[in-house]
Amino acid sequence: MKKTVSIILLLVLLLSLTGCSSQQETKTAGPVTITIWHDKEEPVIAVLEEAVKELEPDVHVVFEKKSGMTESLKLVGNDKNAAPDLYIFAHDKIGVYAEMGILTPITEFVDSSLLDRYVPLTVKGATYKGTVYQLPLYFETLLFMYNKKYMAESDIPGTTEDLYSYMERKTRYGHYGFVEQHSTPYYAAGWIHGFGGSLITEDGQPLLNSEEVTAALAYHKKFVDLMPGETEYATVNTLFTEGMAHATIAGPWFVPTVRNAGIDVEIAPMPIVNETGLPLAPYSGIQGVHILKVHAEEKKAAISKVLEILMNPDVSVALAKVSGCAPAMESCYEREDVQADSLIMAMRSTAETAVPMPNIPEMDVMWSVAGTLLTDVNVSGYDVLEAAESAQQKALDLIEAMK
Amino acid sequence: MKAKSNTGARKTLIAYLVASPSLLLIGLIVVFPILYTAYISLTNMNTYHWFNYSIIGLDNYKRALFMFDSGFLSALLNTVVWTVVNMVLQLVIAFLISNLLNVKRLPLRNFYKTILMFPWAMPGYVSILLWKTGMFNSQFGLLTQWMEKLSGLTVRWLQNDVSAFLCCTAVNLWLALPFMIMIMDGGLKSIDRSYYESATLDGAGPIRQAVSITLPCLRPIIGPSVVITVFTTFKQFDIIYLMTQQVGAQTGAHIHTIITYAYENAFITNNYGFSSAISILIFALLIVFAQISNRREKEETV
Amino acid sequence: MKRKKWMKRIAGSFLLNGFFIICCLLALLPILYALSVSLDAKGSLLSANFSFIPQEITGEHYIRVFTEKPVLQWFGNTMLMTAATVLVAMVTAVPAAYVFSRRKFAGRKVVLRVLLLLYSFPSVLSMFAIYKLMSTFGMINTHIGLIIIYAGTMSVFALLNMKGYFDAIPVEIEEAGRIDGCDDVKIVTKIVLPLARPTLIVTGVMIVNYVWNEYIFSINFLTGSDRMTLASGLYSLQATETSGSWPVFAAASLVVSFPVLVIFFWSQRYMVSGLTSGGVRG
Repeated sequence: MKKTVSIILLLVLLLSLTGCSSQQETKTAGPVTITIWHDKEEPVIAVLEEAVKELEPDVHVVFEKKSGMTESLKLVGNDKNAAPDLYIFAHDKIGVYAEMGILTPITEFVDSSLLDRYVPLTVKGATYKGTVYQLPLYFETLLFMYNKKYMAESDIPGTTEDLYSYMERKTRYGHYGFVEQHSTPYYAAGWIHGFGGSLITEDGQPLLNSEEVTAALAYHKKFVDLMPGETEYATVNTLFTEGMAHATIAGPWFVPTVRNAGIDVEIAPMPIVNETGLPLAPYSGIQGVHILKVHAEEKKAAISKVLEILMNPDVSVALAKVSGCAPAMESCYEREDVQADSLIMAMRSTAETAVPMPNIPEMDVMWSVAGTLLTDVNVSGYDVLEAAESAQQKALDLIEAMK
Repeated sequence: MKAKSNTGARKTLIAYLVASPSLLLIGLIVVFPILYTAYISLTNMNTYHWFNYSIIGLDNYKRALFMFDSGFLSALLNTVVWTVVNMVLQLVIAFLISNLLNVKRLPLRNFYKTILMFPWAMPGYVSILLWKTGMFNSQFGLLTQWMEKLSGLTVRWLQNDVSAFLCCTAVNLWLALPFMIMIMDGGLKSIDRSYYESATLDGAGPIRQAVSITLPCLRPIIGPSVVITVFTTFKQFDIIYLMTQQVGAQTGAHIHTIITYAYENAFITNNYGFSSAISILIFALLIVFAQISNRREKEETV
Repeated sequence: MKRKKWMKRIAGSFLLNGFFIICCLLALLPILYALSVSLDAKGSLLSANFSFIPQEITGEHYIRVFTEKPVLQWFGNTMLMTAATVLVAMVTAVPAAYVFSRRKFAGRKVVLRVLLLLYSFPSVLSMFAIYKLMSTFGMINTHIGLIIIYAGTMSVFALLNMKGYFDAIPVEIEEAGRIDGCDDVKIVTKIVLPLARPTLIVTGVMIVNYVWNEYIFSINFLTGSDRMTLASGLYSLQATETSGSWPVFAAASLVVSFPVLVIFFWSQRYMVSGLTSGGVRG
């Protein structure tokens, strides 16, 4: 018995060793393989796969879904054996990777005049220190959604105070007038921007104890008091899909889920903050292609071909449709089918006020610090000014520690 | 005399020769990386000097000690409390369960044992997420719903420090008990039955037998596994981080162990020099702890 | 009199079984939860009206796990890596553990103490260094590289764990063997190892479990979905806000855990005949 087991084990080991070595030798000449890492949903990738098919057999494009991609890129971003050629991700890590020196500017492959065709917000997000590192595909902004069954046309809040009085009236018997991921910086930033504030300046100065931020936090708190204690997405989204929350702020990716759950969902403009007259202005994420330096030279021709295809407005529109996001190219909005899509058009108009997520390296620590600050204020009930002061100090320390 | 020391040297040589494959492997995968981390800790490797880093001496350590303020001390205290509470509960419960599993008249023994091992088969992070979202969630969590039905109170399990600590402990026990039960069960099996038989003849009750036979016999066998578990508990990160601190899902509790503290204060900065310095400091701290506990137990552990 | 004793026995067995049923329910609680989520046609991890028995049962999520992902490929990879890791770690650690348990030699205690310390260092903290090491040898993105990492990481545990058990085996048994004319190798293979079977199995199963569930190294060091292991594949399925679905994730986690349970169940049969079957205790 034991002998057979050990023989089997030995065989298995030998097999695995030969298996590994043979796998390595497949990198021979012939068609160029372009590997693209991504973290996207399958329909999005299906569109992309379809689009790059025409490059076969000269260029073979492989899409690989990668979790924990941001960490992996830090480790293997410069490794000839393990790094991909391109990756598709939101624009907010550009600063980190550009400083690390693993990215190649997009303008080395694409004529910079072509970038004029894109929605300004997207190019702004793709630019770090004057250099464009991303070819935008589509962008998303958070949207104000409501359940038509509960919220009548006349109830749609024009201002935040309208929203508050609606919440006061309707939050009872397990129902919520309005829910959001209140202590998650990506969501709460909309309120801060609505007060004319910002988490961090463009040159990396944290602003957590600024007047605008503290005013926004203090004001926001009264809304949070009428929301559930949990801030994570599962709770908030479930409340809305189960028809227990009348309105929410969520990303476009949430809409298909909601519709599947049989909720009659509609999009409304973001409420305007009474005090400032500014609408809640959420962060926006620009999804696009980035080029890694490792293979950029050697595969230049093939990468250029792939990028060229991705700059086709048809691809942009198709991507927008399956992802529920808005196309990055301006010309797409002239099409009738795009204009007919209320979701896309809502995002296009939110894009006028939305703020691209900061792409500077300093932002990396801000997510965590701002998250703690928000929970401290919203959940633990700490004093706003004190919490903001200590969070600001923490942010300064951490940013200092990055250097 | 000379001959004797010669055979001693030969013996030593042979011993190391036999152990060498294992020691080499450990040297390569465990020791070398620690040394390399120590080297990185002396450099300024960070986002801005990713490839062109240079040695900057002890600056990172200076900064680390400066950063390790009162927050670090309370994290250290938490870590000790966490380790002690978890180990005590784990040992007591595992001892109880494994003894009961070995009660003579228990036909379903293997069935129970297998089921008790289930938690251990699931990948750790999946279980933690299931506990967090499925059980403790303050809106829909199963425990919350049951609690509401029983007492009408809505409990926010993970919101305040004490109850979050207890919840994390419960999850840790859930994850770690199977291993402990398995080890103790194996240990119990190796105790000679005749001891108990003669003890029964002498009129010793079950508790007496547990104290004077089971415990002393079990101790040397499970000792190493227990020491190993102490360190596993000490360096536990996933449970506390995923349950209470994950970005975008913070629950409001502020329970930090030194590892989560280091993560939040160093690792998110992408400054590898700085965070390596902190890793090495934690390692140094562990050495100090190990020395203290070693002096206490001397011959016992090694 | 006899009747009373009988009653007592019944009550005792009642209590005992009750206790274990409660323990088992506690152990199964989140798993049953996952099972129910994975089978529920309406599948949502959270719901105001959750019940353990879904109103509408579907196998769709399981079918999706097997059809949409190269699960069998991952399974094969994981099997290979697990077997290889167990083999490498055990073959190197058993002799080392034996020597450290039985022979007195210079530096023995120091090495043991250092090993324990090494175990206390979370290997994630030195991941970057391990990456550097592996990339020097060109072993990033290979299974061999990961096998070496896993075997090295678990060697410390294996050595310490088995050494402790060897310590508990009385030396007299070996001496008896020596008188019978056995040499060192024979003593180990014919006498010590059979006696140490429980610890060999426990250690082996622990290594299996570690490799089976390890995902941090494999998602970072392996690229290409055809090379992934089950745990890292599962990780990439993870339900996040923008992608993935909880029911599929729950189904996949159960599928991944199943083989480990089988291995555990199988190992149970060999656990029993440990020291007791040898019959000699010091």
